[in-house]
Amino acid sequence: MIVSTIPIFSQLEDVMKHVLNFFHSNIGLPWAWSIVATTIVVRVILVPLTIRQIHSMQALQKHAPQMKEIQKKYKQDRQKQNEELMKFYRENNINPAASCLPMLLQLPVFIALYYTLKHFQTNFHVGKHTDLSFLHFIPSIQAHTTTHWGGYVLLVVYVASQMASSFFMMTTTDKMQRTLFMVMPLFFVFIIARFPAGLVLYWVTTNLWTVGQGLITRRLVAKTPAPALERRSSRTPPKDDGSSGNGAKSEAPSPKPAPSASQRPRQVRRKKKRTSRR
Amino acid sequence: MSAVTRVPSLLGVALVWLWRLTFGALFPTTCKYHPSCSEYAVQSLRRHGLVKGSARAGWRLLRCNPWSRGGFDPVR
Repeated sequence: MIVSTIPIFSQLEDVMKHVLNFFHSNIGLPWAWSIVATTIVVRVILVPLTIRQIHSMQALQKHAPQMKEIQKKYKQDRQKQNEELMKFYRENNINPAASCLPMLLQLPVFIALYYTLKHFQTNFHVGKHTDLSFLHFIPSIQAHTTTHWGGYVLLVVYVASQMASSFFMMTTTDKMQRTLFMVMPLFFVFIIARFPAGLVLYWVTTNLWTVGQGLITRRLVAKTPAPALERRSSRTPPKDDGSSGNGAKSEAPSPKPAPSASQRPRQVRRKKKRTSRR
Repeated sequence: MSAVTRVPSLLGVALVWLWRLTFGALFPTTCKYHPSCSEYAVQSLRRHGLVKGSARAGWRLLRCNPWSRGGFDPVR
């Protein structure tokens, strides 16, 4: 293939070859498990980046109510909404959760693994009886995923793990985008089915890592006190049990229910208008 | 830009779309900038041509790391 003649790709393949060979020959793992080990090493290297992400995710959660307000305010204009959100991040020293670089760093690994698996026989001089199986249900990590029923099982696991990892990685609150990312693996599975099973194994491992990370993060985040949402409910007046002199002041929020009730039909009307415009 | 000089940059734009439809689709939108890195790449390729445009897009990708501030950053 033309792509494999590009020097950077063959260099990537070379590095991957050495890494896989290290796990297989020096540590004694089977080939399939060497791929899993490589994936884990990659994710461990990315841990400092993910810790940063966790911190900013917590900051984002803290400021979620204000951000929702901005989203509501500029509902019609997506561009303006994004700009305002970015401004808000700057003003409040929030680093939005994710960034493009960690995601991009996984691409070279993926390409390297693809070519290494493609040229597996010549790369490692494996014979017919070399064990390339994984957990007894995938006969060969080098063959196309769909050549054996085990591959289909792996694809199902892939779809499930991809959906789960999208669920944990998701930073948007936009419903359309959320559903899109949950449905995406169902389409992507048709492309990935043409890849060697080892590559799917890489994806499944990295997804499962993301899910595990997400579960741990959720626990850690849950331990930190949840931000108290300021509710503008007018039914419950502010508590002032001891001080009887402030009784007159507490009357202030009481006239609120009327405007909030009258706003409701207006909101509905606005929604209808917007849909008719587009 | 004339139609002929625009061809290489359009090739770059096509590559960005290839990324968007394959790997980009695998990850939820994660960019901390606005416009997002891929959108920035498309715009800068269109404005500055293949070489300068992709260099600018590459620099943007490097800036899009967990240690940067992010924010509104249009193509100039």
